[in-house]
Amino acid sequence: MSMQAMIDEWYPVGIAAQLDTAGRNTLLMGEPIVVATDADGQAKVTGGNGRTLPVRIRYGHVWTSLGEPKKEVFPIPEADQPGRRYVDVGVVRVRCSPLRAVENFLDIAHFPFVHTDILGAEPHTEVQSYKVEIREDVDEVWATQVKFYQPQAAKSASGGITTEYMYRVPAPTCSVLYKTCPPRPSEWDVITLFVQPLTEELCDVWPWMALFDDDTPMTDLIHFQQTIFLQDRSILENQIPRLLPLDPGMEIPTRADLTSVAYRRWLKRHNYTYGAQLVAQ
Amino acid sequence: MHSDTTGSWTPVALSADLPAGTVIPARISAGSIALWRSESGRLSASADRCPHRGMSLSHGFVRGEALSCIYHGWSYAQGGNCIRIPAHPGLTPPETIRARTFAVEEAGGVIWVAADETETKPPVLEGLTPLRSMTTDAGISAIETAAGTKASAEGLIEPAGGTLCLLVSARNDGQTLIHVLLKGETSPADRIAASREAESLRRAAEDLQKKGIAS
Repeated sequence: MSMQAMIDEWYPVGIAAQLDTAGRNTLLMGEPIVVATDADGQAKVTGGNGRTLPVRIRYGHVWTSLGEPKKEVFPIPEADQPGRRYVDVGVVRVRCSPLRAVENFLDIAHFPFVHTDILGAEPHTEVQSYKVEIREDVDEVWATQVKFYQPQAAKSASGGITTEYMYRVPAPTCSVLYKTCPPRPSEWDVITLFVQPLTEELCDVWPWMALFDDDTPMTDLIHFQQTIFLQDRSILENQIPRLLPLDPGMEIPTRADLTSVAYRRWLKRHNYTYGAQLVAQ
Repeated sequence: MHSDTTGSWTPVALSADLPAGTVIPARISAGSIALWRSESGRLSASADRCPHRGMSLSHGFVRGEALSCIYHGWSYAQGGNCIRIPAHPGLTPPETIRARTFAVEEAGGVIWVAADETETKPPVLEGLTPLRSMTTDAGISAIETAAGTKASAEGLIEPAGGTLCLLVSARNDGQTLIHVLLKGETSPADRIAASREAESLRRAAEDLQKKGIAS
């Protein structure tokens, strides 16, 4: 494990709208931090030795870093389109590697078995070929032309549809999913997975959404996503080993796993190994 | 440990606790296993880890004669070889995709699994009827002290003067698995009494363990 490469990245540590002066005591990569508002109502993050950490407010969340970020928090241009509703889903604590949480988010083949009758259903289990690349100009992992049959793709969907997905990994513990938007076929719904690495084997997952959906009550939107992530948690807490194996040999991928293969390769290339297992045991 | 004379065989569960078409977790010295019975009744024991993404197979499901992983539905035959990958329905999985399997035997209502390859058979327990299983934080010597008698080579502890018999095996997580067995013919009232007696013995053994009296 090396923290160095990942220490300069931004991580989500709370929901901006829920900050208070009392603060949230939490961990970032093993270091105790406090996320609070200061006397002026500004977000403030304090590190373990009392030092003030950098802060950004983006996508409904507070972001910080233990190191010196070389870039701003990654852009999501679609999130700034007018007319979207923003959904702070909340937090799901998962006893797994932050990298395993992201990898699960990139996976569609589990839908019929883990999110049965919601995001997938037998016998519609086949994963069609899709495109995966590491985009060198932006240094992100992208999967496009991902299609899957879904009984209820979104809260706003009625009946089964073949949903199209695009996945992005713009940071080692964050992923952005673009998904067919039932009420507006020409646009994409944005669903993100922001993962706060508490330790190498424990994380807080902060899903966030920017949707074109003016009808569904906020509570229902939140419940829908929480249901999905709690189903994922039952998997993530029972994978062995808890760390994500980056070396081949420990786990066997197939064509359906090309996004995960690219993600692991990208992590390894950048030495993003906090939460990873490097030598097959 | 009482593995010297039982070979590598561990009594992991009672037959009654594994109906056809189900899977349960169990432990042997080699680690966690998924113990499952096909719909036709065939028993199998495999490593509790799907080789695809490391998911615990004991969280999976049994359909027909195969065990499937709950994560992506990869199915395994009794021999541990993967026979189906739902994401690629047209693909015949290569032989190299397999979960490690272990020898499993069932006799007298007890399921035994061997951690290593063995020519031996598990011990035969004559005249005993399984009642229930339980785990305890007490070690075998604490249970022996509480019962006032030593375990036999097969791991049987028989407190004097009753119908009760405990089949004990030490697990590598520090716990002891106890199968409660009964001698001879018993009535429902006998079985309830024996179950309570076994629970009292367990409590006594755990007290001894906590006080460090067990030697």
